[in-house]
Amino acid sequence: MRTIDCTSLSTRAINELIRRLIAEGAREILLRNPEARHNLAVAILTDVAIAIDGPVGYYAGGMSDGVRLTIRGSAGWGVAEGMLSGTVVVDGNAGNGAAASIRGGTVVIRGDAAARAGIAMKGGLLVIGGDTGYMTGFMMQRGRIVVCGNAGPALADSMYEGVVFVGGEIAELGNDAVVSDATPAELAEIRTALAPHGVKGPDAFRKVVSGRKLWNYDKKELDAWKAAF
Amino acid sequence: MEGRVLSTLRPSQIYRPDVMEDIHLKAELGRYRFRGFGTLRPRPLPSFDDLTFITCSLTRIPLEGYRERCSTKTVLGTRFAKQPIELDIPVMITGMSWGALSYNAKVALAQGARRVGSSTTTGDGGMLPAEREHSRTLVYEVLPSRYGLSIHDVRAADAIELTVGQGAKPATGGVLLGSKVSAEIAAARELPAGVDQRSPARHPDWLGPDDMIIKIEELREATEWRVPIFVKLGATRVYDDVKLAAKAGADVIVVDGMEGGTAASPEILQDHTGIPTLAAVCEARRGLEDLGLYGQVQLIIAGGIRSGVDAAKALALGADAVYIGTAALIALNCNRPLYVEDYAALGTEPYACHHCHTGRCPVGITTQDPELMKRLPVEEAAERVANFMHAMTLEIQMLARACGKADVHHLEPEDLRSLTLEAAAITGLPLVGTSYVPGRRAGD
Repeated sequence: MRTIDCTSLSTRAINELIRRLIAEGAREILLRNPEARHNLAVAILTDVAIAIDGPVGYYAGGMSDGVRLTIRGSAGWGVAEGMLSGTVVVDGNAGNGAAASIRGGTVVIRGDAAARAGIAMKGGLLVIGGDTGYMTGFMMQRGRIVVCGNAGPALADSMYEGVVFVGGEIAELGNDAVVSDATPAELAEIRTALAPHGVKGPDAFRKVVSGRKLWNYDKKELDAWKAAF
Repeated sequence: MEGRVLSTLRPSQIYRPDVMEDIHLKAELGRYRFRGFGTLRPRPLPSFDDLTFITCSLTRIPLEGYRERCSTKTVLGTRFAKQPIELDIPVMITGMSWGALSYNAKVALAQGARRVGSSTTTGDGGMLPAEREHSRTLVYEVLPSRYGLSIHDVRAADAIELTVGQGAKPATGGVLLGSKVSAEIAAARELPAGVDQRSPARHPDWLGPDDMIIKIEELREATEWRVPIFVKLGATRVYDDVKLAAKAGADVIVVDGMEGGTAASPEILQDHTGIPTLAAVCEARRGLEDLGLYGQVQLIIAGGIRSGVDAAKALALGADAVYIGTAALIALNCNRPLYVEDYAALGTEPYACHHCHTGRCPVGITTQDPELMKRLPVEEAAERVANFMHAMTLEIQMLARACGKADVHHLEPEDLRSLTLEAAAITGLPLVGTSYVPGRRAGD
């Protein structure tokens, strides 16, 4: 385990140190005193375990491919955005746009997620242990979101593909979102996804998918389009 | 004629035939109309045509037009990037997606730009590997959709362009109708094949200029502060937007005027949003000057740049380089009278086609149909693009030399005069034959 004390270091210096340690062969790195800095551990392209001991700002672990990042605190906007593969775990809460547009990998928010979690996801898995905010899963293309708590308004609005599972209450479905109960097979799938991260979740989940009425322009679906625009 | 009541034959100037046709069509469609190309407003916009160069005579000495050196070297990204991009000419290819354009068109643009020492730009669909392979300098667009965005492609680029908007449809996302979302394009964008793809207007992980500061820092960290970061704006509130982008840390700001092209957009956006490129370049320069960053932050102007004349005027007004899009496609063969029967099948004809959105491009440029694409052989198309960009460069040099400049970047507003009162008001350049600028008192 190699340790970086972030105190009095710039973001640039911290990220350069991370890259230097990886180049030297380190595969476990601990960042102390992150002091909610933005852009820590972005674009890490190596299978390396990085733990950040405290809260972080925007885009922690963003644009990564293969990193195993643990944030022992809360995260700001866009945590793990654009990730291709790897795992990012946030022990606390996450700001807007958690796991935005990820194409693969797993993002776990043990606490609550704010607005637009999983927006435009193109693959991968987002687990939210608590509640999630407005427009979760907006324009999601592929992948899965599992929300153990409650979901805010406009859930799963204008999705292409992808699935959102919600264990708690849904404040409001988004445009063209269709809800049903998760099947036993899907519940087993959820358990399998949650188990490695020690997230328990409720016993039952509902499943939200796209109704596909917005996939193509069609005047016959006038009501759906009026709502969407 | 006696006895005929002429007033009964007078068409309405409000409900003109084209307006009636528009209403008839929308009454059938139940939605707004789409098309490609760019604005088709009947009323001419204020444009670079409203300016003229006042070249040398006795007060200034010209350079020999066909002999003396006139540099066209263009360097972008000198503010923060470790490796600014260096181009041989100030004419660049703008972002157009693989999806909107065919594979052959994208590769031909890359090869053409490479031959003249310039750059091309990706678009709303990620990086086509062949585009990287064939481009000398490749600008990678980071758009709200993030289709196909990969850190590996970001790192393979020579510059990053964070796109806030585009001139043809500022404040709205892109559109790719289902006819062009082939299995291959759908796979690249991680979408179901055949959907009418609508890109979002907002980025998924940031909203305003304060967020953008952090986003730009993320892109710099992801690329080790190596490559320049461009910020692209659709031209609306240009003065304020340019100041915000510059303060957010952009190396280069791209301003795309309302004459900018698109492969598909609601028609009303193309005709009724944004401001003309002529006005945009003037506002952009003023914004940078007022921040004290003119010359430190480079400015690229786009939107309806058709020739070296337009480019030279944009440079004189403050641009460091210009993007071309539609003009480059026309060089490829867009609207050329070939396969005329296929234009007719689309209900149009050469020189009037704006059916890029259909995917049935008769000349193989804006299509994903393999048979249509064959009509655009890459080698010949690349040569035409290179020839056109070279011709544009010669035109810029000719005008610069005639203004006594040994470097095209030395062109300045003083080299221009306005031909119309409207242009004088927009540019602050005096009306020809006078010292008059609307709104400015003598002695100001």
